[in-house]
Amino acid sequence: MARHLIGPVPLGLALVLALVAGCSPERPAVSAAPPFNATDVMFLQMGLAQITEGDQVAGLAAERAGDQRIRDVATELRAQWHDESGTMQRWLLGWQQPLAADPSAGAHAGHGALQALRPADIEDLKSTSKTDFDRTAVSLLLGQLANCVETSRMEESGGAYPPARALAATETQRRQSQIQRLLTLAATQ
Amino acid sequence: MRRRFILPALTVAVTVASLLVAVSPASAHGYISSPPSRQANCVSGAVANCGDIIYEPQSVEAPKGSTLCNGGGSRFAVLNDTSKPWPYAGVGKTVTFNWVITARHSTATWEYFIGGTLLASFNDGGAQPGATKQHTVSMGNFTGRQTILARWNIADTANAFYSCVDVNIGGGTTTPPTTTPTTAPTTTPPTTSPTTAPTGTWKAGTAYKVGDVVTYNGVSYRCRQAHTAIVGWEPPNVPALWLAI
Repeated sequence: MARHLIGPVPLGLALVLALVAGCSPERPAVSAAPPFNATDVMFLQMGLAQITEGDQVAGLAAERAGDQRIRDVATELRAQWHDESGTMQRWLLGWQQPLAADPSAGAHAGHGALQALRPADIEDLKSTSKTDFDRTAVSLLLGQLANCVETSRMEESGGAYPPARALAATETQRRQSQIQRLLTLAATQ
Repeated sequence: MRRRFILPALTVAVTVASLLVAVSPASAHGYISSPPSRQANCVSGAVANCGDIIYEPQSVEAPKGSTLCNGGGSRFAVLNDTSKPWPYAGVGKTVTFNWVITARHSTATWEYFIGGTLLASFNDGGAQPGATKQHTVSMGNFTGRQTILARWNIADTANAFYSCVDVNIGGGTTTPPTTTPTTAPTTTPPTTSPTTAPTGTWKAGTAYKVGDVVTYNGVSYRCRQAHTAIVGWEPPNVPALWLAI
C-alpha cells in the first residue's frame, strides 16, 4: 500500500486527504451521523404498513379458512408479525422518525397506492362465500407476502443499520417459506 | 492513518449509491398462482435451481407481444428452458386461472395462448384490477400436454407481464394420455404401448392416482395412494406411496 503512495500520484491524493482531514474537526457530523439511512426508515415504515394490512387478511384466514394448512400459515404469520412489528416500531421511535411515511413524500418509491390492500378488499374477503374464501384469502396473502419480500430484500441490499438488515433477512426467509407453502396448496386447490 | 481519513468519504459514497439503487421504482406486478405457472413452480420448490425468480415471480415484465415465457427480457431466461422438469397440471376442458396481483396497474387486456392460437382475450379497457384476478378459459380443441402463455398487457406502459402454465388437458397426471390428441401435437414423445404399463418418469408436482406406473432411476413403481408428488417424495423414499415392481 505505502509503496503506491510514492511518486507523482500521491500529490493529488495527499491533497484530497488533507482536505478530508482538514474538514473532519469542523464537521463532527461525519462521526455523529445516525446509524441508519433512508432505506432503513423506508423499510420500517413500509414494512409496518404491510404488516397492518396483511394482518387483517391473516386474521380472517386464521379463523375462517376451510383448509387447515391455510389456518396454520395465517396463525404463524400473525405471531411473527406481532414480534417483528414491535421491534420495527421501537427502532423508528428511537430514531425519532415517524411510524408511517408521509404519503406526499413519495417514500413508497412511486408505487405505494398501487400495492396497498384497500378496506374494500378486506370487506370483499369478509363477504366471500365459504367455497371461494380459501382461494381468495390465498391470493390476497400471496400478493401481500410478495410485497413484504420486496421490502425486506430492499433493506437487505440498501439498509445501513445492521440489526435492521438482519431482521430483514429473517423476514425474507420466513415470508418465502410461507409463500412456498401457500403456492403448494394453491396448486391443488 | 491515511486510510482512516479516507473511509468516511468512501462510506458516504457507498451509502449514496445504495440509496439510489433502493429508491428506483420496483417492477413487481403479478403472476399466475394456479394452475401453477412456471415461476410459481420455481417458488414452491416443485422445480429446483431457478435462480432469482424465486424472490420475485411477479416481476416477469417485458415489452408487449412476446411469445416467450420470460417475455423475451434479459432476466429469468430459465422460464424458457424446456429441459427443466416443468410439471404438467391436470386440467379439464376449461381452466380457471388465478392471478396474484402485487401492483394494480391499469390494464389493457389479458391474453391466453397455446402456440400461436389465441384462446381468450379479456379487455379491461384501462381499468385497475382488484386485489385478485380470475379468468375461466376454454381450451378449445386442444388436448394433452400444452404450454399456455398468459400475457397481462398494461394500459399505460409498453410492457406486459408474462406467465407460462404447463397443463395436461383432459388428464390428471403428467403421464401421456392414452388417447391420441385430436389437434395440436403434444410436447411428449409417443408412448410405446399403453397396455405394458411404463407411463413416464416420476415428476414432482404431478397428481398420481392409485395404479399409476412411473419410472424413477430406471426402476418402475406403482402408485399405492393417490397424491400430488413433491420433491422429497421420490418413489424409493416413500414406500407408503410407491411399490417397486
